Amino acid sequence: MSATLDSLNVGDSAEIVDISSDCTRAGRMATLGFIPGRRVTVTRLAPLGDPISVDIGGQEISLRRAEARLIQVKQA
Amino acid sequence: MATMDSRKSQKSSEQCPLVALVGNPNTGKSTLFNRLTGLRQHIANYPGVTVEKKSGLLRLGNQDLDLLDLPGCYNLTAVSRDERVVMDVLGGRHGLRRPDLLVFVVDASNLKRNLLLASQCAELGIPAIMALNQCDAAKRNGIQIDTALLAKQFGIPVVETVATRGRGVDDLKSAISNALSNPSFLPRIHWPECIAKGCQVLQTGVKDLGGDGVTQAEALRVLFDSDSVFTCGISDKICLKKMVDAAHQDIRGLGLSPGSAEAVLHYRHLESLLKGVVTSTGPIARSHESIDAILLHRVWGTLIFFVVMYVVFQSLYSWAGPLMDLIDTLTGMAQGFISPLLENMPVLQSLICGGIISGVGGVLVFLPQILILFFFISLLEDTGYMARAAFLVDKLFSWCGLNGRSFVPLLSSYACAIPGVMAARTLSDPKARLTTILMAPFMSCSARLPVYILLIGTFIEPRYGAFAAGWALFAMHFIGLALALPLAWLLNTFFLKIKPQPFILEMPDYRVPTLRNIFHRMWERGREFVLRAGTVILAFSIIIWCLLYFPRNPSVAEKIRTDFASNPTTSISKDALEHRIESAYIEQSYLGRFGKAVQPVFEPAGFDWKITVGVLSSFPAREVIIATMGIIYNLGADVDEGSEDLRTILQSEKWTSGPRMGQPVYTLPVVIGIMVFFALCMQCGATVAIIARELDWRWATFSFFSMTTLAWISAVVIYQIGKLF
Ligand SMILES: Nc1nc2c(ncn2[C@@H]2O[C@H](COP(=O)(O)OP(=O)(O)O)[C@@H](O)[C@H]2O)c(=O)[nH]1
Ligand SMILES: [Mg+2]
Repeated sequence: MSATLDSLNVGDSAEIVDISSDCTRAGRMATLGFIPGRRVTVTRLAPLGDPISVDIGGQEISLRRAEARLIQVKQA
Repeated sequence: MATMDSRKSQKSSEQCPLVALVGNPNTGKSTLFNRLTGLRQHIANYPGVTVEKKSGLLRLGNQDLDLLDLPGCYNLTAVSRDERVVMDVLGGRHGLRRPDLLVFVVDASNLKRNLLLASQCAELGIPAIMALNQCDAAKRNGIQIDTALLAKQFGIPVVETVATRGRGVDDLKSAISNALSNPSFLPRIHWPECIAKGCQVLQTGVKDLGGDGVTQAEALRVLFDSDSVFTCGISDKICLKKMVDAAHQDIRGLGLSPGSAEAVLHYRHLESLLKGVVTSTGPIARSHESIDAILLHRVWGTLIFFVVMYVVFQSLYSWAGPLMDLIDTLTGMAQGFISPLLENMPVLQSLICGGIISGVGGVLVFLPQILILFFFISLLEDTGYMARAAFLVDKLFSWCGLNGRSFVPLLSSYACAIPGVMAARTLSDPKARLTTILMAPFMSCSARLPVYILLIGTFIEPRYGAFAAGWALFAMHFIGLALALPLAWLLNTFFLKIKPQPFILEMPDYRVPTLRNIFHRMWERGREFVLRAGTVILAFSIIIWCLLYFPRNPSVAEKIRTDFASNPTTSISKDALEHRIESAYIEQSYLGRFGKAVQPVFEPAGFDWKITVGVLSSFPAREVIIATMGIIYNLGADVDEGSEDLRTILQSEKWTSGPRMGQPVYTLPVVIGIMVFFALCMQCGATVAIIARELDWRWATFSFFSMTTLAWISAVVIYQIGKLF
C-alpha cells in the first residue's frame, strides 16, 4: 500500500519508497537518512499535531507534516 | 586586545598550516576546539556574511597551527550561509584559505550518517584524519567500533576522543602533527559512469560560459543542488540548467531520483567500507525514550515546557535586576567620583560623566541578562532539551515563517531584545533567524515598563481603577507580539525571497551538561557583546550626549538668573533654579530645537514639543524618557516613574499656544498613543547596533525605520480615532 509519511499513525512503520521534492530538499532529507529502502516508524506527534517525530535507523528525527508529505512510503 | 590577536593570527597565517574541524552539528567540534586551543581563540565573521568564524591557535611543540571550527553541517548542500561557508572554505573560494588538513569530528553513536559528509569531502582531495568523538556515549549505547579497522578501511588515522573530558586530545594533537608531514586521504566514491560524465560536461560547460574553473567536487554541487548558492560565477542560469537537467535524466536512467541519488550512492559506498566496523550489542539501549515519554507528552510535556520557560524568563527578569542595579550604582559612583574633579571644565565634566561613563554603564548593564540567558541556552542545548522544546511549540510559529526555535529568543526579548537577538543564533535556518531577529524588538522589553507605569499610574489608574490599569499593562505587553507575528507572515510571504528550509530536527541524546562548556559559552558571548556591539552603543550615547548638550549658550542661563533676580516676588530655591536652567538648556539644545522643528510631524498624534523631545531623546535608549521628562518639566533628572511631582505636573500640563490653548495635553488618546508608540518603536540604539552586528546595517536600518513608522502611524490612528469621541 502506498502512502506518504504524514498519513501514518503513531506506532506505524513503513518502508521509504521515494522523496518527491526539489533536489536540494530531497538531498537534505536523504542525507539525514530518509533514503529509499529504509524503515521508518512514527514515534509521536507534537501536542498541536505538527511536527511529527520518527525513528529512522535508531535515530529520532522530527519533521513537519509539510515535509513528511514529500516522503512516499510503502506499508508492509 | 582582540584586534591585536587577529592581526597576529593573520600575519602568522601566511606561514603556519591551517587545520579545520569539520562535522555534523552537535558532534563536539566546539568542545574539541576549546580543548585544543584553550582560550587562544578569536571570533570574527566570514567576509560578507554574518556566519561566525571561530579560529584559534594550536600549539604543537614548537609548531604553531591555525585551527578553524567550521559551522556544523550534514552535507555540502549549500542552502544556508553556514553551509556555503563550509563549501567556500573547503574549496578555497572568495579569497578564503583552503585548509591543509581536515579533522573530521564524528559522533561514534551515529557513524554512518556522520561519515556521509566525510565521503562528500573526499572529493576535495584535502588530507584528513578522523576524531571518533563521544566514545563514552557510544559505549553506553552498546555500540562497539573497531577503530583499527575503521582507520584501515578509510585510509586515514582515527583517534578515539571524549571531548568533554579531554580524553584522547593529546593523541589527536600528535595525529594532527603527523598528518601534516605525512598526509593521507579519504577514499573517493566511485561514481557511476553517467554522473562522472555529467560532471565533466559541467566542468567544460562552465569554462565555455566564462565562469570560474570548477573542480569535480564543485561540479557535483551544481549537479545535485538545484538551488545551491554555489553559483560558480555564471550568469547564464538557463544554459547551466540545461546541462544539469540532462545529467538528471541520466541519473533517472539508473533507477535513482536526482534528489536523493547523491546520498544513496554515498551511503552505499559507506556501507561497503563500514562492513564489520560497527557492532551493536543487541538492540540499542535507548535511554532517552522513557524521558521523552514524559518531556514530549501532550499534557505533561507542555506543562514542563512552560515551567522551564517560566524559570528562564523569571531569572532574566528578576535575577538580572540586582546585578543591573549594581552596575547602575557603580556607574553613579564613578560619576560622583569623577564629577568634582572636573568642576572647572563643565563640558569635559558632562562629556565624561553624561556621555562616556553613562555610555559604558549603558553597555555593561546588558551583560547580566546576556550571561544569564546564555547560561540557560547552553544548559538547554547541552542537555538536549532545546530540540525537544522546539518540537513542542513549532506549530505556534510555523505559520508565520518562524519555527520552534524562535521561542526562546522571543521570550527573552520580553526582558531585553539584546540577548534575544543574540539568542537567535540558535536558529540554523537563515530565513527563520532573520525573521526572529526582526520580530524580537517588538516584544515589550523591561525598559518600556517605566513608561507604562508612569502613564498608566498617572492617567488610567486614578480615573478608571486598578482593574483597568492591570488590563492596560497587559495589553501593552501583548500588542507588540500581536502585531509582530502577522508582520512576520507578511515579510515571509511577500518580501523575503530566500527559500525556506525544511525544519528537520535531530533529537539528540540526553546528556549531562558540563559547567566548563556552559561557562565558556557565556564568556564567549559576553566578551563578544562588549567588544563588538559595545563600541557602537558607546558611540551612539556620545553622539546623543552632544546633541542634548550643545550649543549651550551661557546667555540662556544668564537670562533666567537675571529674570529671577529682577523679580523679587517669585522666590525660588537654588535647586529649582538649576532645574529651570537645565530645562532651558535642553530646549535650546540641537535635539530640543530639532524636537520643536519636527513637532508638527507628531502633531497628528497629539504630541506637544515636550513629548516630542522626550520621544526623540529616548531613541538611543527608551528608559531615558523619564529623566528627560524630569528635566523638561523643571524637576531635574533624578525623577523616576513613581515620582508624585512628575505625575502631578503631567496631569495639569496644558497647551500654551495653538488651537488647543488651555486644554490639557495629556488626554486619554494621547496617553494611549504615547504608550503604543513606545511599545512599537525601535527606541534602542543598542538593539539597532546588535541587529547590525548579527545581520547587517541594511537590516538594522530597515528595522529601525519600519518600526518607527509603524509606531507613528499607530499613535496617529489612536489619537485621531480618540478625538471623535
Ligand atoms: N558524552 C559526550 N558528550 C560530548 C562529547 N563531546 C561533546 N559532547 C557534548 O555534545 C554537545 C555538543 O557539543 P559541541 O561542541 O557544541 O558540538 P558542535 O555542534 O559540533 O560544536 C555538548 O553538549 C557537549 O557537551 C563527548 O565526547 N562525550
Ligand atoms: Mg559548535
